[in-house]
Amino acid sequence: MELVRAERRDEAIALLLPAFRRKVFGLAYSFLRDREAAEDVTQEVFIKVWRALPGFDGRASMSTWIYTIARNASLSALRGRRPQSSLSDPGVMEAAESIDPVPPADVIVDRAAILRLIDQLPAKQRQVIMLFYMEGQSHEEVATMLGMPVGTVKTLLHRARARLSAAAAK
Amino acid sequence: MSTPDSELDRHLQALFGGLDTRPDFDARLMTRLRAESQTEANERAMRAEQERARYRRAVLELQSWRRSMLRLLTLDTLGIGLLLVVAVVAAWPHVSGNVTDLSRQYGPYIAMLLGILIATVPLLGMWAEQTRRPIRLL
Repeated sequence: MELVRAERRDEAIALLLPAFRRKVFGLAYSFLRDREAAEDVTQEVFIKVWRALPGFDGRASMSTWIYTIARNASLSALRGRRPQSSLSDPGVMEAAESIDPVPPADVIVDRAAILRLIDQLPAKQRQVIMLFYMEGQSHEEVATMLGMPVGTVKTLLHRARARLSAAAAK
Repeated sequence: MSTPDSELDRHLQALFGGLDTRPDFDARLMTRLRAESQTEANERAMRAEQERARYRRAVLELQSWRRSMLRLLTLDTLGIGLLLVVAVVAAWPHVSGNVTDLSRQYGPYIAMLLGILIATVPLLGMWAEQTRRPIRLL
């Protein structure tokens, strides 16, 4: 806030970027299910934040404010693009391989199958499950990001996990 | 809720735990922000230039209006003086002997005062124009 008041927006963004880049990207990705589009939206979000920083009055927390901008930007991007996006893009698998570099062949098959199952979940459940596992399994953080109560997040997560477990067991 | 070592958790964690932007994201963003900053500065400079031009135009308009007023005032004063002279000349044969005597006595002073008044009004106007406060617009 001090940097914002001092009109040092570039420095403020340099501080916000490491704290929020991945979260904003995850939020955009949970809406768009397309890595390239999510990165574009993330860039737009930070540019919007940079432009709007002088008007930020601190009534809401910085994170709530940024997530609201991110959700609105994601929804706008979602409205302006073709609907048949899928989570099964190579980026997700690449990211998974970066965590678990040489998974056995059956694990790769499992993960691709799980992505297909997640694709079939209702939008809110899909978003919650993605963000929950992206954000180190914090219900509170996911609730803030999606702007919904923690209880709703827990319910959606429970339903999504139950669906995935049931589908995986078949 | 979920057991940390469950198979599903492990897969989901692996799938989404590592999702992040490409490594050059920050550099690309900073480049765009610098470009935005430059654009913003150019726009600010353009707006300031437009504002200065508007101010100059308004000052010129105001000065022109004041000069017109001054010219009008000078002409008015001359007209009033002329009318007074005409009125005095027209009324002179009808005034009584006392007034004629008085005017003979004070006529030169009255004429001098009238001349001074006619000469002073434009001079006062010019003085007011030169010593006025700087024009302040909104």
